[in-house]
Amino acid sequence: MTKLVDCRGLACPQPVIQTKKAMAEGETVTTIVDNDTAKMNVSRMAGKEGYAVEVEEKDDGIYLHLTKAGALPEQTTAPAPPTEGRVGPTVVLIPSEGMGRGDDELGGILIRSFLHTLNEVEPLPDTIVFVNAGVKLTVEDSLVLEDLQFLEQRGVEILACGTCLGHFGLKAKMAIGEISNMYTIAETLLGAGKVVAL
Amino acid sequence: MSDSEYSVVLFYSTSGAIRAEKLSKEAGLRVKLIPVPRHLSSDCGVCLRCESADIDKVRSILDAARVEFEQISAL
Repeated sequence: MTKLVDCRGLACPQPVIQTKKAMAEGETVTTIVDNDTAKMNVSRMAGKEGYAVEVEEKDDGIYLHLTKAGALPEQTTAPAPPTEGRVGPTVVLIPSEGMGRGDDELGGILIRSFLHTLNEVEPLPDTIVFVNAGVKLTVEDSLVLEDLQFLEQRGVEILACGTCLGHFGLKAKMAIGEISNMYTIAETLLGAGKVVAL
Repeated sequence: MSDSEYSVVLFYSTSGAIRAEKLSKEAGLRVKLIPVPRHLSSDCGVCLRCESADIDKVRSILDAARVEFEQISAL
């Protein structure tokens, strides 16, 4: 019982969102897309969700056959990066509420612009880590919540420092991602192929 | 205007964009400050994205508050 999702003509991030919806309803999904970006985004998200991806390029579209694999890829792919040399996950580290120093209002606009733009450019980071006042971006009423939700739907892992949320009294208000500790944060940074630190 | 879902309003200054966002939000409109799309400008700047259906409302809010804007384009 394969669920068919026709995403031809749909703009990003719709193909990913619709595919994810279909995954919730069945073990196998075939998504039809009409461009390479959608193909990459859907395949990437499927991989993270533990699906095997088979690509079939037909005249009327790119057919992505997604089948739920047994194990989650976490264990199978995580140890792989070191053997592939420098290739590894891309991690973005956000240590403050704004981008850069000098003017807080400007910094706020820049970080909003940055997170909005992450949804429009390639490549997508694998993980975004929020520490210190950066965690304020992950709580209720954050102006970037919608952008972070899109990123998460597309397979980007979002980690927020639990110590930091606690420090600001914001643990109960967290609205996106996972609460993380310094072990996971340190491992994520050290295991990255590339860290983009703001 | 085209039938795009969103339109953007470009301003002469960042502070104009910030004021416009504040006023539009106070009026209950769904708006967002985003970077100026590449096809509209190569400069680093922010603009106000709004739903195309709301464009007349945004225009009158800006006119009433005398916030000058450069142009309005479909996204």
